[in-house]
Amino acid sequence: MATKAPVSRSDFNEKEKEKDVRTSNIVAARAVADAIRTSLGPKGMDKMIISPNKEVLISNDGATILQNLDLKHPAAKMLAELAKAQDIEAGDGTTSVCVIAGALLGAVSQLMAKGIHPSIISESFHLALNKSLDVLTSMAVPVSLTDRTSLVKSATTSLNSKVVSQYTNLASIAVDAVLNVINPATANNVNLKDIKLIKKLGGTIEDTELVQGLVFDQTASHTAGGPTRIQNAKIGLIQFCLSAPKTYMDNNIVVGDYAKMDKVIKEEPKLILEMCRKIQKSGCNVLLVQKSILRDAVNELSLHYLAKLKILVIKDIEREDIEFICTTVGCTPIANIDSFSPEKLGKADLVEEVGTSDGKIVKITGIPNPGKTVTVLCRGSNKLVLDEAERSLHDALCVIRSLVKKKFLIAGGGAPEIQVSQQVTAFSKTLTGMTSYCVRAYAEALEIIPYTLAENAGLHPISIVTELRNKHAQGEINSGINVRKGAITNILQENVVQPLLVSTSALSLATETVIMLLKIDDIATAR
Amino acid sequence: MSNKVLMIDGDRISGQDVRNQNVTAVTAIANIVKTSFGPIGLDKMLVDNIGDVTITNDGATILKMLEVEHPAAKVLVQLADLQDQEVGDGTTSVVILAAELLKRANELVQRKIHPTVIISGYRIACQEAIKYINEELAIKVDTLPKDFIVNTAKTSMSSKTINDDSDFFSKMVVEAINRVKTIDYKGDAKYPVNSINILKAHGKSAKESILVEGYALNCTVAAEGMPKRVQNAKIAFLDFNLAKTKMKLGQKVVVTNVNDLEAIRDRENDIIKERIQLIIKSGANVVLTTKGIDDLCLKYFVEAGCMAVRRCKKEDLKRIAKACGGTVLITLANLDGEESFDPTALGTADQVSQDRVADDELIVVKNSNKKAASIILRGANSLMLDEMERSIHDSLCIVKRALESGTIVPGGGAVESALSIYLDNVAATMGSRKQLAISEFAESLLVIPKQLAVNAALDATDLVAKLRSYHHVAQTDSTKKSYAHSGLDLFAGKVKNNVEAGVLEPAVAKVKCIKFATEAAITILRIDDMITLTPKQAQGDDHAGHGH
Repeated sequence: MATKAPVSRSDFNEKEKEKDVRTSNIVAARAVADAIRTSLGPKGMDKMIISPNKEVLISNDGATILQNLDLKHPAAKMLAELAKAQDIEAGDGTTSVCVIAGALLGAVSQLMAKGIHPSIISESFHLALNKSLDVLTSMAVPVSLTDRTSLVKSATTSLNSKVVSQYTNLASIAVDAVLNVINPATANNVNLKDIKLIKKLGGTIEDTELVQGLVFDQTASHTAGGPTRIQNAKIGLIQFCLSAPKTYMDNNIVVGDYAKMDKVIKEEPKLILEMCRKIQKSGCNVLLVQKSILRDAVNELSLHYLAKLKILVIKDIEREDIEFICTTVGCTPIANIDSFSPEKLGKADLVEEVGTSDGKIVKITGIPNPGKTVTVLCRGSNKLVLDEAERSLHDALCVIRSLVKKKFLIAGGGAPEIQVSQQVTAFSKTLTGMTSYCVRAYAEALEIIPYTLAENAGLHPISIVTELRNKHAQGEINSGINVRKGAITNILQENVVQPLLVSTSALSLATETVIMLLKIDDIATAR
Repeated sequence: MSNKVLMIDGDRISGQDVRNQNVTAVTAIANIVKTSFGPIGLDKMLVDNIGDVTITNDGATILKMLEVEHPAAKVLVQLADLQDQEVGDGTTSVVILAAELLKRANELVQRKIHPTVIISGYRIACQEAIKYINEELAIKVDTLPKDFIVNTAKTSMSSKTINDDSDFFSKMVVEAINRVKTIDYKGDAKYPVNSINILKAHGKSAKESILVEGYALNCTVAAEGMPKRVQNAKIAFLDFNLAKTKMKLGQKVVVTNVNDLEAIRDRENDIIKERIQLIIKSGANVVLTTKGIDDLCLKYFVEAGCMAVRRCKKEDLKRIAKACGGTVLITLANLDGEESFDPTALGTADQVSQDRVADDELIVVKNSNKKAASIILRGANSLMLDEMERSIHDSLCIVKRALESGTIVPGGGAVESALSIYLDNVAATMGSRKQLAISEFAESLLVIPKQLAVNAALDATDLVAKLRSYHHVAQTDSTKKSYAHSGLDLFAGKVKNNVEAGVLEPAVAKVKCIKFATEAAITILRIDDMITLTPKQAQGDDHAGHGH
């Protein structure tokens, strides 16, 4: 390394003493938590990240920010992974999870300064976590999936911190999308793959819409002037190529006689025509062709024939979309022309090419038994907003999914954290020794969430948090910070609710990560 | 330095610093384009890194050429581009408005108002403004005299280089767009702007530009022996090569006998000859292809007295085919596995001729009753022609929007002043901090009439105050509703009724302008942290030293 090596390297490339290692880890991880603190809550702001190749990203989502920061320190990286884990498990609360972890680490460093052994701290934290989860669960209000308004409320809460917060339509889109793909009576999980998000530049976020059916990013093939609008569509999905066959080995066709030249030339059209005829015979009038890297999935000749046979062609279907398309329109992918039969086709009322300012898209609507999949078409006036809208919508979908997984709601606005903090403090009084001390520190650390919420909203954090404590001590367990009014109110009445799963998963993931960081006493860099 | 603790390889700015930086960048962008705004705005000359010169008045074009680096400024460039795609005009105003909104928001932030409050205030203001445009200000075109559409075209041209001849060009634009009017399956009238082909030819003055009833192509006939003029043309549209047949890869012809060689050569020729004969037999007397025609094939066409044009642009061909009722063929193969030429694929035209315009020759497909139009622009130099093309394109878009949406609003800052009065009243009804944001929004809108006046070297403060008072009367006194149409007359330097004066814009352009500007301003306003990661150095120059 040259004289002025990047700071990041020199900080951990030597074998350090135990205490230094812990301190360095804690400092690094807390720095990360501090960095994204300002994006927590409805008054949180966005971060703009310019990547090394000059691409710009604007986001409010903790996991997205940390993923794109390109963190160097291993402990900081763990925090980024923590956010990701929360993203996978609950889909929302990625910022909170990091903020909690940061606060817990702060508590840890104080405890260690007092000479408490890390293993005792970790044990007590475990204890505190279990208690906290009990408290959270006891606070929760059961919710039924048929109660659409409650679902919309929690989706709105999740969207509150995002750039899209003012557009109320997104929350209901998210709820409708999820409710569409599940059976509310029996569902225990949602496969978010059944909800496809398509981004298209142009229009504003208000123009985002839920499509019962399919939307394709690509246009219908125009090369041969085929149809672009078909009613009563019968949709076939093929995974083979409609072009001249190739052998795997190098081959040569040797023509010895001029008369045979014609035959060679005519062979290709004949072959392709035969395939197109078979497709038409099955009654298919919309053909989706999977992308092929080996050879052209369709060539001019086959497009020409298909256009003549009045079949709408959409080519370059990605492989991973096949399953989605099949469940949506109810077709079966066809791998060989010989198995192209009418029962494998899907049906739809209308397949239509629609123009947008950012190129055309194809919409398939009016599928016979909807309810398996939906598509959400996101719109936005610039790429950055559009990307962020998509991420926010994904978060909202995840929130609804969390509710499907665990059908309980709890209040938002810092109410659960304060409640947990108080209950756990009370619990600590029943313990003795160092454990009691550590559990108490854990409880205090959780106050970071209401504290940050108040701070981001420009309120006085200390007075707000103490007032909140007071209210909770009086038994008003649903009191929380009403950021809009800048006061403490009953947050359930304000419709600020979040799924229980988001909070429980945030707490357990954060605690586990902290315990893990705590137990590291040595870093050796192996090269 | 915060990045030391965060341990990332890069810089980080946050809080007020980043907001200031973004606002400065955005204002800088707006400052570049703002002098080109309005009928008395001037043009910009842009010289790119290889020395190519562009002279333009169009905001989107200027910004596109600038290669802006700052991410917040880039949002503005995208914004202008979006306005260009969705509306086609008003690109400068959208940028100026967005920058003004941001500037004022930043001032509010410095007065300790939280950005999210400003954002929600802006959102409310934007919604109210759009509602007000649609409900109060928009004028249904049916209620206006016929020449409104010509006036709309004229307004959009007023800021451009063709302003002096706007009478001439606006009529041409309206005529062109009326020619391409189509009715879609829903029964709505559509005006596809790209069915109008704009060609440029040097020489003569702008006034000698012509509108061709039909489609003009920048090509010539393929061979001298062909007719230069075909009446009652039957046109074949081909998208394949007319050349001697080649075998595909992996196919070889092995000759064992010398006589066979000749036979094979003949066969090669015959295959294409048969194709050409199919085309000719179907009755085609004009052949347009996107690909080439080799000498041998040309001979066949010359013999048959056909006009053949090669290397046409594919888009052009598609449009001509649509206008003439033909189809573009990519192969002659038919559904029997044989080759044939279906006469229904032929298009018809009154006349196809090769005409001389300036030094160039053009193929003109004339069709008195079909849906196609071409404008051949004439001008003194290519820079002027380019700018004329852009201006005509903008006007075409504007006319299209006005016709399709069916509502228009008065121009000349009328809408903005009316909105600012209205929003001020809305703000007064709000009891919260949003009030401030909404009144700043109202104030920001006034940047449009102000800038118009400034560019015209008039007293902006005086004129805008006058304008506002007219609109105030219009909104309070129900007997003087027509005052709502008051806008600036920049040549006389006074306020007048712009609906009567014929300064008109489509309502949808204004609505989109306000919507997009607000959304862009909000995007930038929400950023309070900017992290720039240092580009990774390539592996190769690892030893070259780290010159940070």
